[in-house]
Amino acid sequence: MKTNDLILQTVTKVASPVIFLFSIYIFFGGHYSPGGGFVGGLLASGAIVLLLLSYDIKTVANILPIDYKLVVAIGLLIAALTGTGALVFDAPFMTHAYQYFDLPIIGHTSLHTAVLFDLGVYLVVIGVTMTIIQTIGESE
Amino acid sequence: MAFQILLNVFLAFIWMFLKNEYTGTTFLVGYFFGLLIILGIRRFFDSRFYLLRVFAVVKLILIFTRELILSNISVLKVILRPKLDIRPGIFALETELEKDWEITILANLITLTPGTLVVDVSPDNKTLYIHAMDIADKEEAIQDIKGSFEKAIMEVSK
Repeated sequence: MKTNDLILQTVTKVASPVIFLFSIYIFFGGHYSPGGGFVGGLLASGAIVLLLLSYDIKTVANILPIDYKLVVAIGLLIAALTGTGALVFDAPFMTHAYQYFDLPIIGHTSLHTAVLFDLGVYLVVIGVTMTIIQTIGESE
Repeated sequence: MAFQILLNVFLAFIWMFLKNEYTGTTFLVGYFFGLLIILGIRRFFDSRFYLLRVFAVVKLILIFTRELILSNISVLKVILRPKLDIRPGIFALETELEKDWEITILANLITLTPGTLVVDVSPDNKTLYIHAMDIADKEEAIQDIKGSFEKAIMEVSK
Protein backbone atom coordinates (compact mmCIF):
# COMPACT_ATOMS: atom_id res chain seq x y z
CA MET A 1 0.00 0.00 0.00
CA LYS A 2 1.25 3.44 -0.90
CA THR A 3 1.20 5.69 2.10
CA ASN A 4 0.94 9.44 1.99
CA ASP A 5 4.17 11.01 3.21
CA LEU A 6 2.83 14.56 3.24
CA ILE A 7 3.67 15.30 6.87
CA LEU A 8 7.09 13.70 6.68
CA GLN A 9 7.95 15.57 3.49
CA THR A 10 6.78 18.93 4.80
CA VAL A 11 8.74 18.52 8.02
CA THR A 12 11.77 17.42 6.01
CA LYS A 13 11.61 20.62 3.97
CA VAL A 14 12.06 22.59 7.18
CA ALA A 15 14.30 20.18 9.07
CA SER A 16 16.89 19.39 6.40
CA PRO A 17 17.95 23.04 5.88
CA VAL A 18 18.40 23.33 9.65
CA ILE A 19 20.64 20.26 9.62
CA PHE A 20 22.61 21.66 6.67
CA LEU A 21 23.00 24.94 8.53
CA PHE A 22 24.18 23.16 11.66
CA SER A 23 26.68 21.23 9.57
CA ILE A 24 28.06 24.52 8.20
CA TYR A 25 28.24 25.88 11.75
CA ILE A 26 30.09 22.78 12.94
CA PHE A 27 32.38 22.99 9.92
CA PHE A 28 33.39 26.60 10.64
CA GLY A 29 33.53 26.02 14.38
CA GLY A 30 36.33 23.50 14.06
CA HIS A 31 39.16 25.85 14.94
CA TYR A 32 37.99 27.31 18.26
CA SER A 33 35.20 24.97 19.35
CA PRO A 34 34.28 21.30 18.91
CA GLY A 35 33.53 20.34 15.36
CA GLY A 36 35.36 20.35 12.08
CA GLY A 37 35.20 18.81 8.68
CA PHE A 38 34.43 15.27 9.76
CA VAL A 39 31.32 15.81 11.89
CA GLY A 40 30.22 18.59 9.57
CA GLY A 41 30.38 16.25 6.60
CA LEU A 42 28.54 13.55 8.50
CA LEU A 43 25.80 16.00 9.44
CA ALA A 44 25.43 17.18 5.85
CA SER A 45 25.12 13.62 4.62
CA GLY A 46 22.67 13.02 7.48
CA ALA A 47 20.50 15.76 5.98
CA ILE A 48 20.69 14.11 2.56
CA VAL A 49 19.78 10.79 4.17
CA LEU A 50 16.72 12.48 5.68
CA LEU A 51 15.77 13.62 2.18
CA LEU A 52 16.31 10.06 0.97
CA LEU A 53 14.03 8.73 3.71
CA SER A 54 11.16 11.07 2.96
CA TYR A 55 11.47 10.99 -0.82
CA ASP A 56 12.60 8.01 -2.79
CA ILE A 57 16.11 7.44 -4.10
CA LYS A 58 15.26 8.36 -7.70
CA THR A 59 13.65 11.68 -6.77
CA VAL A 60 16.61 12.74 -4.69
CA ALA A 61 19.04 11.65 -7.42
CA ASN A 62 17.05 13.75 -9.90
CA ILE A 63 16.83 16.79 -7.68
CA LEU A 64 20.42 16.66 -6.41
CA PRO A 65 22.25 15.36 -9.49
CA ILE A 66 25.55 14.88 -7.68
CA ASP A 67 28.04 12.14 -8.44
CA TYR A 68 29.32 11.47 -4.95
CA LYS A 69 32.39 9.62 -6.19
CA LEU A 70 33.34 12.87 -7.91
CA VAL A 71 32.82 14.69 -4.60
CA VAL A 72 35.36 12.36 -2.97
CA ALA A 73 37.84 13.07 -5.75
CA ILE A 74 37.35 16.84 -5.51
CA GLY A 75 37.72 16.72 -1.73
CA LEU A 76 40.96 14.75 -1.94
CA LEU A 77 42.22 17.12 -4.60
CA ILE A 78 41.48 20.18 -2.46
CA ALA A 79 43.20 18.65 0.56
CA ALA A 80 46.24 17.63 -1.45
CA LEU A 81 46.52 21.00 -3.17
CA THR A 82 46.31 22.83 0.16
CA GLY A 83 49.24 20.74 1.37
CA THR A 84 51.35 21.20 -1.74
CA GLY A 85 50.49 24.89 -1.88
CA ALA A 86 52.92 25.41 0.98
CA LEU A 87 55.79 24.14 -1.18
CA VAL A 88 55.24 27.04 -3.56
CA PHE A 89 56.03 29.48 -0.74
CA ASP A 90 59.20 27.62 0.23
CA ALA A 91 57.67 26.09 3.34
CA PRO A 92 57.49 22.38 4.28
CA PHE A 93 54.58 20.26 3.02
CA MET A 94 51.29 20.92 4.89
CA THR A 95 52.47 24.20 6.44
CA HIS A 96 49.44 26.37 7.04
CA ALA A 97 49.31 30.11 6.81
CA TYR A 98 46.84 32.58 8.25
CA GLN A 99 46.25 36.26 8.09
CA TYR A 100 43.76 38.77 9.48
CA PHE A 101 41.57 40.56 6.99
CA ASP A 102 39.00 43.33 7.27
CA LEU A 103 36.15 42.05 5.14
CA PRO A 104 33.35 44.41 4.05
CA ILE A 105 30.38 43.13 6.05
CA ILE A 106 31.75 40.54 8.44
CA GLY A 107 34.53 42.77 9.77
CA HIS A 108 37.79 41.63 11.33
CA THR A 109 38.27 37.99 10.37
CA SER A 110 41.19 35.62 10.35
CA LEU A 111 41.37 33.47 7.24
CA HIS A 112 43.32 30.26 7.61
CA THR A 113 44.34 27.81 4.90
CA ALA A 114 43.50 24.98 7.29
CA VAL A 115 39.86 25.71 6.43
CA LEU A 116 40.55 24.67 2.84
CA PHE A 117 42.03 21.40 4.07
CA ASP A 118 38.96 20.96 6.24
CA LEU A 119 36.76 21.63 3.22
CA GLY A 120 38.50 18.72 1.51
CA VAL A 121 37.77 16.50 4.52
CA TYR A 122 34.16 17.72 4.53
CA LEU A 123 33.64 16.81 0.88
CA VAL A 124 35.34 13.43 1.21
CA VAL A 125 33.17 12.51 4.20
CA ILE A 126 29.97 13.52 2.38
CA GLY A 127 31.08 11.67 -0.74
CA VAL A 128 32.05 8.47 1.03
CA THR A 129 28.94 8.34 3.24
CA MET A 130 26.56 9.02 0.39
CA THR A 131 28.30 6.56 -1.92
CA ILE A 132 27.97 3.83 0.72
CA ILE A 133 24.31 4.59 1.42
CA GLN A 134 23.30 4.99 -2.21
CA THR A 135 25.11 1.83 -3.28
CA ILE A 136 23.40 -0.21 -0.58
CA GLY A 137 20.06 1.42 -1.29
CA GLU A 138 20.16 0.81 -5.01
CA SER A 139 21.10 -2.89 -4.85
CA GLU A 140 18.07 -5.15 -5.09
CA MET B 1 7.65 31.81 -2.13
CA ALA B 2 6.63 33.15 1.28
CA PHE B 3 7.50 29.77 2.75
CA GLN B 4 11.05 29.97 1.39
CA ILE B 5 11.59 33.50 2.71
CA LEU B 6 10.22 32.50 6.09
CA LEU B 7 12.48 29.45 6.15
CA ASN B 8 15.46 31.61 5.24
CA VAL B 9 14.78 34.08 8.05
CA PHE B 10 14.25 31.13 10.39
CA LEU B 11 17.64 29.69 9.37
CA ALA B 12 19.30 33.06 9.92
CA PHE B 13 17.87 33.14 13.45
CA ILE B 14 19.05 29.59 14.12
CA TRP B 15 22.51 30.67 12.98
CA MET B 16 22.39 33.54 15.47
CA PHE B 17 21.40 31.17 18.25
CA LEU B 18 24.17 28.74 17.30
CA LYS B 19 26.82 31.48 17.24
CA ASN B 20 25.38 33.12 20.37
CA GLU B 21 25.93 36.51 18.71
CA TYR B 22 22.82 38.58 18.24
CA THR B 23 24.03 41.18 15.77
CA GLY B 24 22.97 42.23 12.30
CA THR B 25 26.18 40.85 10.83
CA THR B 26 25.56 37.39 12.22
CA PHE B 27 22.02 37.55 10.88
CA LEU B 28 23.33 38.46 7.42
CA VAL B 29 25.90 35.64 7.49
CA GLY B 30 23.21 33.18 8.58
CA TYR B 31 20.86 34.51 5.91
CA PHE B 32 23.58 33.99 3.32
CA PHE B 33 24.20 30.38 4.38
CA GLY B 34 20.44 29.77 4.48
CA LEU B 35 20.20 31.14 0.96
CA LEU B 36 22.88 28.71 -0.22
CA ILE B 37 21.10 25.79 1.45
CA ILE B 38 17.74 26.72 -0.05
CA LEU B 39 19.44 27.14 -3.41
CA GLY B 40 20.82 23.64 -3.03
CA ILE B 41 17.51 21.99 -2.22
CA ARG B 42 15.27 24.42 -4.17
CA ARG B 43 13.69 21.69 -6.28
CA PHE B 44 12.09 20.10 -3.23
CA PHE B 45 9.81 23.15 -2.97
CA ASP B 46 6.73 23.61 -5.09
CA SER B 47 7.52 27.17 -6.18
CA ARG B 48 10.75 28.21 -7.83
CA PHE B 49 13.77 29.64 -5.99
CA TYR B 50 12.51 32.88 -4.47
CA LEU B 51 15.55 34.98 -5.33
CA LEU B 52 14.57 34.73 -9.00
CA ARG B 53 11.30 36.39 -8.13
CA VAL B 54 13.10 39.12 -6.21
CA PHE B 55 15.21 39.76 -9.31
CA ALA B 56 12.02 39.88 -11.38
CA VAL B 57 10.57 42.53 -9.06
CA VAL B 58 13.77 44.59 -9.32
CA LYS B 59 13.61 44.27 -13.10
CA LEU B 60 9.98 45.42 -13.09
CA ILE B 61 10.94 48.50 -11.04
CA LEU B 62 13.78 49.31 -13.43
CA ILE B 63 11.51 48.92 -16.48
CA PHE B 64 8.95 51.17 -14.82
CA THR B 65 11.56 53.86 -14.08
CA ARG B 66 12.84 53.78 -17.65
CA GLU B 67 9.34 54.00 -19.11
CA LEU B 68 8.44 56.82 -16.73
CA ILE B 69 11.41 58.94 -17.82
CA LEU B 70 10.96 58.21 -21.52
CA SER B 71 7.25 58.94 -21.62
CA ASN B 72 7.64 62.10 -19.54
CA ILE B 73 10.06 63.35 -22.15
CA SER B 74 7.61 62.51 -24.91
CA VAL B 75 4.80 64.36 -23.09
CA LEU B 76 7.12 67.33 -22.63
CA LYS B 77 7.71 67.34 -26.38
CA VAL B 78 3.96 67.40 -27.05
CA ILE B 79 3.44 70.28 -24.62
CA LEU B 80 6.23 72.39 -26.04
CA ARG B 81 5.19 71.82 -29.65
CA PRO B 82 3.42 74.94 -31.01
CA LYS B 83 0.94 72.93 -33.09
CA LEU B 84 -1.49 70.60 -31.31
CA ASP B 85 -1.67 67.72 -33.78
CA ILE B 86 -2.47 64.85 -31.42
CA ARG B 87 -5.41 62.47 -31.75
CA PRO B 88 -6.70 61.36 -28.35
CA GLY B 89 -8.80 58.23 -28.12
CA ILE B 90 -9.66 55.10 -26.20
CA PHE B 91 -8.58 51.62 -27.19
CA ALA B 92 -9.01 48.16 -25.71
CA LEU B 93 -6.11 46.03 -24.50
CA GLU B 94 -6.63 42.31 -24.15
CA THR B 95 -4.60 41.14 -21.18
CA GLU B 96 -3.42 37.64 -20.41
CA LEU B 97 -2.98 38.39 -16.72
CA GLU B 98 -5.42 36.63 -14.43
CA LYS B 99 -4.91 37.44 -10.78
CA ASP B 100 -6.44 40.59 -9.35
CA TRP B 101 -3.20 42.07 -8.11
CA GLU B 102 -1.47 41.51 -11.44
CA ILE B 103 -4.17 43.43 -13.31
CA THR B 104 -4.10 46.17 -10.67
CA ILE B 105 -0.33 46.57 -11.01
CA LEU B 106 -0.55 46.57 -14.81
CA ALA B 107 -3.30 49.21 -14.73
CA ASN B 108 -1.34 51.38 -12.29
CA LEU B 109 1.82 51.12 -14.37
CA ILE B 110 -0.07 52.09 -17.52
CA THR B 111 -1.64 55.04 -15.74
CA LEU B 112 1.57 56.27 -14.13
CA THR B 113 3.43 56.34 -17.41
CA PRO B 114 2.08 59.48 -19.09
CA GLY B 115 0.49 59.31 -22.50
CA THR B 116 -1.81 56.47 -21.50
CA LEU B 117 -4.48 56.16 -18.83
CA VAL B 118 -6.61 53.20 -17.80
CA VAL B 119 -10.26 54.20 -17.92
CA ASP B 120 -12.03 50.95 -17.14
CA VAL B 121 -11.61 47.23 -16.69
CA SER B 122 -14.14 44.94 -18.35
CA PRO B 123 -16.35 42.88 -15.99
CA ASP B 124 -14.62 39.61 -16.90
CA ASN B 125 -11.16 41.09 -16.13
CA LYS B 126 -9.99 40.30 -19.64
CA THR B 127 -9.87 43.72 -21.26
CA LEU B 128 -8.44 47.05 -20.15
CA TYR B 129 -9.82 50.22 -21.73
CA ILE B 130 -7.02 52.70 -22.10
CA HIS B 131 -7.18 56.36 -22.99
CA ALA B 132 -4.21 57.36 -25.10
CA MET B 133 -2.98 60.86 -25.68
CA ASP B 134 -2.07 60.09 -29.26
CA ILE B 135 -3.92 57.13 -30.69
CA ALA B 136 -2.23 57.26 -34.09
CA ASP B 137 0.05 54.42 -33.12
CA LYS B 138 -2.41 52.23 -31.24
CA GLU B 139 -0.97 48.89 -32.28
CA GLU B 140 2.48 50.03 -31.28
CA ALA B 141 1.26 51.12 -27.85
CA ILE B 142 -0.39 47.76 -27.28
CA GLN B 143 2.74 45.94 -28.29
CA ASP B 144 4.79 48.21 -26.03
CA ILE B 145 2.67 47.48 -22.98
CA LYS B 146 2.49 43.78 -23.72
CA GLY B 147 6.20 43.54 -24.36
CA SER B 148 7.43 45.39 -21.33
CA PHE B 149 4.97 45.56 -18.45
CA GLU B 150 2.88 42.47 -18.98
CA LYS B 151 5.91 40.27 -19.55
CA ALA B 152 7.68 41.67 -16.48
CA ILE B 153 4.60 41.15 -14.29
CA MET B 154 4.20 37.59 -15.57
CA GLU B 155 7.83 37.01 -14.72
CA VAL B 156 7.11 38.05 -11.13
CA SER B 157 4.04 35.86 -10.67
CA LYS B 158 5.31 32.80 -12.55
